[in-house]
Amino acid sequence: MGSAENLENTLQELRRGLIVLAVLSQLGKEQYGYSLLKLLSDKGLAVDQGTLYPLLRRLESQGLLQSAWKIEEGRPRRYYVSSKEGQKLLPQLKEEWNGMVSTMGKLLK
Amino acid sequence: MELIDRYVLEVGKHLPQKSRADIEAELRSTLEDMLQDRSHKAGRPVDDAMVIDLLKEYGAPDTVAATYHSTQYLIGPRLYPFFLFVLKIVFTVLIVVLLVALGIQLATQPMAGPELAKAIGKGLLGILSGAIQAFGNIALVFAILERVLPASEFKLDEEKKAWDPASLMKEPERDEVKPWGPIVAILFTAAAMIIFNLYPQLIGVGFLKDGEWTFIPALTAAFFRWMPYINVLWALQIALHVLLLRQGRWQAPTKWFSIALDAAGIAVGCLLLTGPAIVAFSPEALRATGIFDARTVGILSQNVNQVVRVIIAIVVIVEGVDVVKNVVRQIMKRA
Repeated sequence: MGSAENLENTLQELRRGLIVLAVLSQLGKEQYGYSLLKLLSDKGLAVDQGTLYPLLRRLESQGLLQSAWKIEEGRPRRYYVSSKEGQKLLPQLKEEWNGMVSTMGKLLK
Repeated sequence: MELIDRYVLEVGKHLPQKSRADIEAELRSTLEDMLQDRSHKAGRPVDDAMVIDLLKEYGAPDTVAATYHSTQYLIGPRLYPFFLFVLKIVFTVLIVVLLVALGIQLATQPMAGPELAKAIGKGLLGILSGAIQAFGNIALVFAILERVLPASEFKLDEEKKAWDPASLMKEPERDEVKPWGPIVAILFTAAAMIIFNLYPQLIGVGFLKDGEWTFIPALTAAFFRWMPYINVLWALQIALHVLLLRQGRWQAPTKWFSIALDAAGIAVGCLLLTGPAIVAFSPEALRATGIFDARTVGILSQNVNQVVRVIIAIVVIVEGVDVVKNVVRQIMKRA
């Protein structure tokens, strides 16, 4: 395994957990998949669609998101929004994240 | 849009039936959104080249579908250690038994040169084929267990989560059932049921003649009269061990159930002891092998049933003592 591949694999692992927090943080207001993808990308977090869509389904099956189909611009779109459980979890995740950032900041100095 | 429809259909082919329509609809809607976005940015209407670029970027249909699958196991991590454990026991027993059988075969039949090499080669191939069959059967049983044992009722996960180092200081709990015990019992009882019901001719003396394995069956018609009762006992044994696997510990009803099964086993053992001979070798069949001399034929055909009766009697006595001990223990517990 080359160093470029090692870097890519490690980055993927790092992003995996981070994307859950990123998605939950943006779904206080309902979004459909592509609009969420663009929203995250506009804010600097490029997420692959092959990662985002299965993740949205998984979070919904865990009860952290809710979804509903709506017809917009003549096209059906599936909108996702944080459930009560997801809203309850977000502040706890934020706190953990801030703790991790602070710890990692000290470790990487 | 025909290309989009075909692409979505291709992705759908690799998706589970349950979620297919939903994922297909969301994928189509996303691709249309992306196309519209690109068309605005490019300042021209959507054309085939734009669609092809998008689909190429989105990925091969099977790769896209694979992102929706969670990892699936034939035998998952919770059962895998027990699978390996059973496999090691079965392989050891199988290989030892087959090697001993091969050794006896080679020692009793005078062979040399190519004939000897051929017999060894055949014997080793037989061991390999037996090992592959055993592996397949064990894997099948574990694959079924993986699907029928709900995670919530399988005690291993809970044990791991709740493990406390202080438990090392306590005496091991007598009533606790480690999962490998019932699993091994189920496998061996099922194997016995298959052999006694479907391949009873294998229970006997096997020998290699002219490169072919032949078995002289040992069980008599008198034995097979008892087979329905023995089958019921074995089926109940399997049911008991499935129950133990699900409950994770011995409880009063399962203890009494086990005692009753042991007592019924003793009853069948006594009937086998007192009835007509259940094992016999016909002197003609033994002579036809060309391996045994007249004296050995006489000894084998006259004494084999006595030897089996002694073994059954020992088992009946040991089981009887065990049943009495268990009954006393259960009564003392109640008192």
